[in-house]
This record gives sequence, C-alpha cells and structure tokens, in this order.
Amino acid sequence: MSPIIRRTGEDFRIPSKYLLSILSVLSVILMLVTFSVERSKLGPFEGPLNAFAGVFIAPLQRGITTVGTSLKKTSDRLSEITKLLDENERLKKEIEDLKIENSKLEQDKYELTKLRELYALQDDYGNYKKIGARVTGRDSGNWFSTFTIDKGEDQGIKVDMNVLADGGLVGRVIKVGPDWATVQSIISDNSYVSGMVLSTQDILMVKGNLNKYEKGAISFTDLKDRTGAVKAGDKVVTSYISSKYLPGILIGYVYSVNDDNNNITKSGNITPAADFAHLNDVLVILDQKQIPKDGLEHKTDSND
Amino acid sequence: MSIRRILLNFIIMILTFTLQTTVFRVFAFGGVVPNLMLVFVTSIAFIRGDKVGLLTGFVSGFLVDIFFGAILGFYALLFMYIGFFVGKLHEVFYSQNMAIPIAIISVADFIYGFACYVLQFLLRNEFDIGYYMMNIIIPEMVYTAMVGIFYYPVVLKIHERIFDKEQRSEKKFV
Repeated sequence: MSPIIRRTGEDFRIPSKYLLSILSVLSVILMLVTFSVERSKLGPFEGPLNAFAGVFIAPLQRGITTVGTSLKKTSDRLSEITKLLDENERLKKEIEDLKIENSKLEQDKYELTKLRELYALQDDYGNYKKIGARVTGRDSGNWFSTFTIDKGEDQGIKVDMNVLADGGLVGRVIKVGPDWATVQSIISDNSYVSGMVLSTQDILMVKGNLNKYEKGAISFTDLKDRTGAVKAGDKVVTSYISSKYLPGILIGYVYSVNDDNNNITKSGNITPAADFAHLNDVLVILDQKQIPKDGLEHKTDSND
Repeated sequence: MSIRRILLNFIIMILTFTLQTTVFRVFAFGGVVPNLMLVFVTSIAFIRGDKVGLLTGFVSGFLVDIFFGAILGFYALLFMYIGFFVGKLHEVFYSQNMAIPIAIISVADFIYGFACYVLQFLLRNEFDIGYYMMNIIIPEMVYTAMVGIFYYPVVLKIHERIFDKEQRSEKKFV
C-alpha cells in the first residue's frame, strides 16, 4: 500500500471486534495476575508502569497542586489586607483584655500538662521515623477514597507504610512509584483496619464506609464487649494484632455502639481523628510492622 | 489514525487526568466529582468511532488503574467497553447537534456508575442501592453531563482542526 493512497483512519487492519476481545482478554489476565500476586509486593508489571506514570503524571500533578496552593495563598493575602487593617485596631484593644486572661490560662495549662502526664497515653508514635508529604491528587472517581502523595520509592517509601495526619491514622501506602505513592485512606469503603478500644483493650474491626462518611463517621464491627464497658467517647487505636498497621496509632473516638443481632458482637460508628475533607500534608511512618514472613497469615487487614 | 492524532489524544488524556485528580477535586459539589475521564473517552469515541473509542478507553482506564485501581485492568476494561459502544453510535448519530453527545455522556456515566456499584459494592454485600443511586451515581451523572457541555466542544474543535490540517497537507502532496 503506497503511503499516498493510505488514508488516515484506515491503516489499522485489525477489525475492532477482534481488538476488543484481545484487549478484554488482556485486561482479565492483568486482573487475575494482580489479584493473585501478594499485596505487599509489586506485581510483575507495576514497576515499569509506575515508573512511566512517574514520568508523565506525577510532575504535572505536583506542579498544578503547587501553583494552585500558591495562587490561593496570594489571592487570600490580597483580599485580607483591608480586612486586616480594621482588625488591627480592634485587636489592639483586645490584647489588653487577653493579657489578663492569659495569666489565668497559664495556670490552667500547667495543670493540664500535669494531668496529661498522669493519663500517659503510651506516647508511642513519637519515636517512629516519619517523613512529611504533600497530597498531590485525589481518586478520579467517587467510589473510593485514595490519594497520591509527592514522595515515593526514592524517599524510602514502601507499600504498607502507615500514613498519619492531625495525629490520627489516615491510611496506608498501596502503590509506590519512583517519586509518588498512592495512599488508601481508612475511610475508603474497601479498607479494613484491626483496632482496639484503648480503655478496655477490646479488639474491633474498623471498616471504611462510603455511606457513613458523609455523616463524618466510619463504622466498626466485631467488637466483643460482654460487659458493655465500651461507651461513646472512648479512644480507638490500631491493635497489636494488626498485620499492616503499627500498634497504638489513634484512629478516632467511639461515637455510637449498637448490639448486633447475634448478641455476641457489637458494631457502631467512630469519628475519625484525622480531618479527611482537608488533607493537604500527611506524615508517612518509615518504620514498618515486622511480621513473620510465612506461617501466621493474619487476615486482619485487607484491601477488598 | 495518524501519529499526530495519537500524540494529541495522548496529551489531552494526560491533561484530563491531571485536571481531574487535582483541580476538579476542588470543585467537588456535595462530595461528588464530575468524571472528566469518562467525558474524554465518550467524546473521542463519539467523534472518531468504535476502534479509536475502545483504544482510547483502554489506555485511559489503564491510567486510572495505575494510580487508583485496586486491581489492574478493571477500569481499563470498563472504559474500553464504554468507548466501544459509544463508538458504535458514531455511525448512527454523528452530527453537530450538541444534545446527542451530552445525552450519550449522561447515559455512559450512569452505566459506568452502575457497573462500579455492582462490581465493587454489590458483590461485597452492600445492598443499599437507593443510597448509592441518590448520593453518587445520579449526582455524578448530572455533574458530568454539565462538564461535558463545556468539554465536548473543545475536543471536537481540536479534532476538526487537526482533520482540516491533514486534509490540506494531503492535497498538497497529491
């Protein structure tokens, strides 16, 4: 076929039906392979694919996010100057009042730190090695809650590392590229975290729920609490038997507890500690939970 | 399909994906984000026919899979079939009328949302279809169609421009 006669749009000679079936089979094979490969490892295709994505998408995402943030900051600043001048006058007067109040509060603060020390919430995630990261992109759909961050393999991030924000658990890394990573948040409908009520040490399963999150809650199930000691306001942290999450990370606070139909377990809602609607900067814990390579196969946390 | 078009589609696709994951998240309305990727695949498929539609769908879906898919290949498959069937409509309906592509985008997004629900939620025993319908699928459909009103003409313009150029250059050589 001479290049002059060949018209645009006609040089693909495979009929579209065959192309459709070939690509369908390819996708199904890909699904089966990713499904069967162990979750904590990268699949055979993921390495090169993630590198590709890192070249094309990650820099763009990062750029737009940076520009967007700085633009918003500048416009906010400009609009606020006039407001600030008025406010300045008012605030000067307030300072006097506050000085008096301050001395009173300082006393309260001293008392508070004393009490906090007494309460001593095993301050354990202070000494993990952490790295800060910026959220660069969110899930393209509306069904699950995952997001990308601007740190990746080159900064030492690995799959299954825990992610925090506002002192509470946000999720864990599920995919890593050279300079980006995808984080699945605990509010995502396909996320399960093994948790523990801090006051009673009862184990429960925290499950993200699309339905409930709009009301600001995530659900928990499988709480075995015979005595009914767990009540609203109790702290929920990650449990010691979790296979993917480090123990003792704050998840949130119990909001409501209901009896299940089987009268053995209880379920209910948790208010998460992290503010998922305004995630901008997160911390990734570089330490990972050490579990035996084989043998004990915990099914406590899973992906779907 | 000329190299120029493939390259152009690829660039538009990457821009669309980046916009969707960064800027459009800010415009989320009631927690729902318009599905720009789907508008892109549907527009291309409607303008260019089934083969280009299914290829574009496959590549775009794959991009979503790489970043956000739990299983590699799921969105690729879904977008590919949407591209293919919308591409089939190309021969039947192709016209300059805006109403038809927008209607097709809405229907495609509804099917996309429904397929997502059935395959990823219903199969995990989440039966509350009314909730998902009223809070995710239908709002997303309306929002996506609204975005489509602005997005589709842009894609169409770019493709017409390229097509004109190719025809002109062909004439020059012949």
